[in-house]
Amino acid sequence: MSKTNSGEPVLKVRHLTTRFRTDRGVVTAVDDVSFDVYPGETVGIVGESGCGKTVTSKSIMRLLPEQVTIIDEKSEIMFEGENIARLSEKRMREVRGDRIAMIFQEPMTSLNPVFRIGWQLDEALRYHTKLGRKQRRERAIEMLKLVDIPNPEKRIDEYPHQLSGGMRQRVMIAMALCCEPDVLIADEPTTALDVTIQAQILSLMNSLKEKLQTAIMLITHDLGVVAQVCDRVVVMYAGRVIESGPVADIFRRPQHPYTQALLDSIPKQGNKERGLRLATIPGIVPSLWDLPHGCRFQDRCKFKEQRCVDGEPVLEDGPDGRPVRCHFPLDEARHPQHLAGRHAEGA
Amino acid sequence: MMLKRFLRSRGMRKLRRNRMAMVASAVIGLYALVALFALFGGVSLDDTKRRVWRENTPGFLQPMSKEIADYTLDWHADKWLRPKMEAARRASDERSRQFSFDTAALGQRTLADLPGDELIALWDEAAGIYDEWRELQDTADEANEELEFFRIDLDAERAKDAPDQDMIEELEGEIEYYEGQLEQAARAPELAADLRAKLLELHPVPTGVPGMVYRAKLWFGTDSKGASIIIKGLYATKIAFQIGFVTAVGAVLIGTLLGAAAGFFGRFVDEAVMWIVSTLSSIPYLVLLAVLVVMFRGSIFDNEARPALALVPLYAAFGMTFWVGTCRVIRGEVMKIKELEYVQAATAIGFARPYIVLRHVVPNTVHLMFINFSLLFIAAIKGEVILSFLGLGVKGQPSWGIMIAHSKDQVSSGFFWEILTATALMFGLVLAFNILSDALQDAFDPKHVS
Repeated sequence: MSKTNSGEPVLKVRHLTTRFRTDRGVVTAVDDVSFDVYPGETVGIVGESGCGKTVTSKSIMRLLPEQVTIIDEKSEIMFEGENIARLSEKRMREVRGDRIAMIFQEPMTSLNPVFRIGWQLDEALRYHTKLGRKQRRERAIEMLKLVDIPNPEKRIDEYPHQLSGGMRQRVMIAMALCCEPDVLIADEPTTALDVTIQAQILSLMNSLKEKLQTAIMLITHDLGVVAQVCDRVVVMYAGRVIESGPVADIFRRPQHPYTQALLDSIPKQGNKERGLRLATIPGIVPSLWDLPHGCRFQDRCKFKEQRCVDGEPVLEDGPDGRPVRCHFPLDEARHPQHLAGRHAEGA
Repeated sequence: MMLKRFLRSRGMRKLRRNRMAMVASAVIGLYALVALFALFGGVSLDDTKRRVWRENTPGFLQPMSKEIADYTLDWHADKWLRPKMEAARRASDERSRQFSFDTAALGQRTLADLPGDELIALWDEAAGIYDEWRELQDTADEANEELEFFRIDLDAERAKDAPDQDMIEELEGEIEYYEGQLEQAARAPELAADLRAKLLELHPVPTGVPGMVYRAKLWFGTDSKGASIIIKGLYATKIAFQIGFVTAVGAVLIGTLLGAAAGFFGRFVDEAVMWIVSTLSSIPYLVLLAVLVVMFRGSIFDNEARPALALVPLYAAFGMTFWVGTCRVIRGEVMKIKELEYVQAATAIGFARPYIVLRHVVPNTVHLMFINFSLLFIAAIKGEVILSFLGLGVKGQPSWGIMIAHSKDQVSSGFFWEILTATALMFGLVLAFNILSDALQDAFDPKHVS
């Protein structure tokens, strides 16, 4: 974590705005999102379902269906001095997999069921490197060893259906990392796994990050995961960044009421004995077609005032010195611990 | 590699447990062997046209009545051997005499391996017996006829109020005479047996393998030109397989490629492909086939002397229409597959979209290709039979459809062997394929997984 903010960011996202053409008109799924990813750090992107986390990652990889996607003119995704949002498809293919790699949520369907995993690893190497057949196989075995797959010489000739979910996710990570990318985008890599396997995968990703100096962009809704592996966190809500900062600061002194509410809704040991119920955030995420005027969180916020309805707050440094999008950011006076108690009593 | 995985897959195991499907596969295998045998010259086109016995001989299941046996003997001696032997007798030199002897062959059954003079001597003996037998038969026929009339007259005379005794005596005398004639004619079966033995000596059924082949050719009788029906049926199996295989492979390939492109790329590719698909499927396919075949009329493909070329219009017609169904199915499957994460993962690795379609998406539709292949194979065979029956299909070589068309007139006169052979062969193949494709669907269609 000491590496945080050292040197130039490897990936710089500025004003990323992604719109979709739908039958009900154009909808903005990601609205003016900016963040940096520095070499060797893990950035967590956190938010509820439908807040635009996945669209953000797929916009960076340009994996969204071209027909219906509009990436706004002013969006900039700077990678190695180039705006990859404007790269030709041909150049983009050289970036994908080689310089920026991605792993997906569902390990069960992320591997092609009709090919051996060795073939699938080999395919990526064949495309992006000039290694010979034998070298590629050695490299594939080496990668499988790196992701702690036992007996890789045997496993390499197996089909995906012969592997467990955790094993498949390891293979996916091996595939993503085999060309030593600068940035690894992990879209909810542990959501579909058992908790014990989750822990293994997360510690694996942590140790690989140390070994390979790969920056990781981790997309998740699980704050536990964020706490375990991330250096910095970007919190998103309804397509917008509402708060960002180092993981310790976010957890200790959240500035946005939404972040606070998210933290409160993590189950805590002992609450049951004390007769406290799990805190929830009332209401639902507003529909992207029908966003409220002003702050997008207003309907669910317990600190809502007239100003929140009148105008949307901008992302600016809050009392803690970190950017937050709120007219009334939380400060020391409204201490998280107090709030936690009040939330619980209220519910 | 893929085949091995396929054979070990769950669907394949399920298929192997299905006994009906295994029997059906064995039957199809048998047909395929016959087709391959014919393809590599085991049954040539000439074989299907060569006379092996008299025309419209019934097959082995039908007992020979005396009339049929007599007619066959008559045909063998008089219609078949006599002109050849007389020509040999008249022949001016040894070569043309040998040629005349050679033309007497019926398939594997040639004249006895004897010097020419002995053959002619044998023939003379046989011809002598034949003439006598013929005469006796004529006498018997005449006697029977006359006896009938005289008996009627006699009865009429006796029934009169005042019968004429002279007349009665005269009539009785006539009846006695003709009964004597009939008694003499009772010797005819003996003569027939003698003639048969003599002809067998002159024109023996070969022994060993050629003899077995010769007898096998007569199992299902002969057609209106005396050619073996079973040989025609087996050759037609080859034609059916050829048409089924070529069109099914072509249609599945076209359908898969266009369907995968339409499903994966969407937008105008999809629009264009689906436009063609809906246009083609709105036309009844047999009508379209007939139109296409008629279109090819008079071109180089319409030439009985080059039967292989004559199949091209069929291939074209089936290929053009049959891919439609496969295309629609594959398109749907690809639309499903392209949303799966391994396709996104492949994109994230940086592969180009055409590569992803061919290497990642299409291999996942193999099960559908198999099912469609078996369906189209049989559809093509059925289509070929229908078109050939209408005279639009196969030309210059046997086909089940042509055989059925041939039988139109024969069936009404009680000869059913040609239509029986053609339909039985077709029935077996179509049934086996239907059972197999049903089993394939059960085994590989995810909606049927139990």
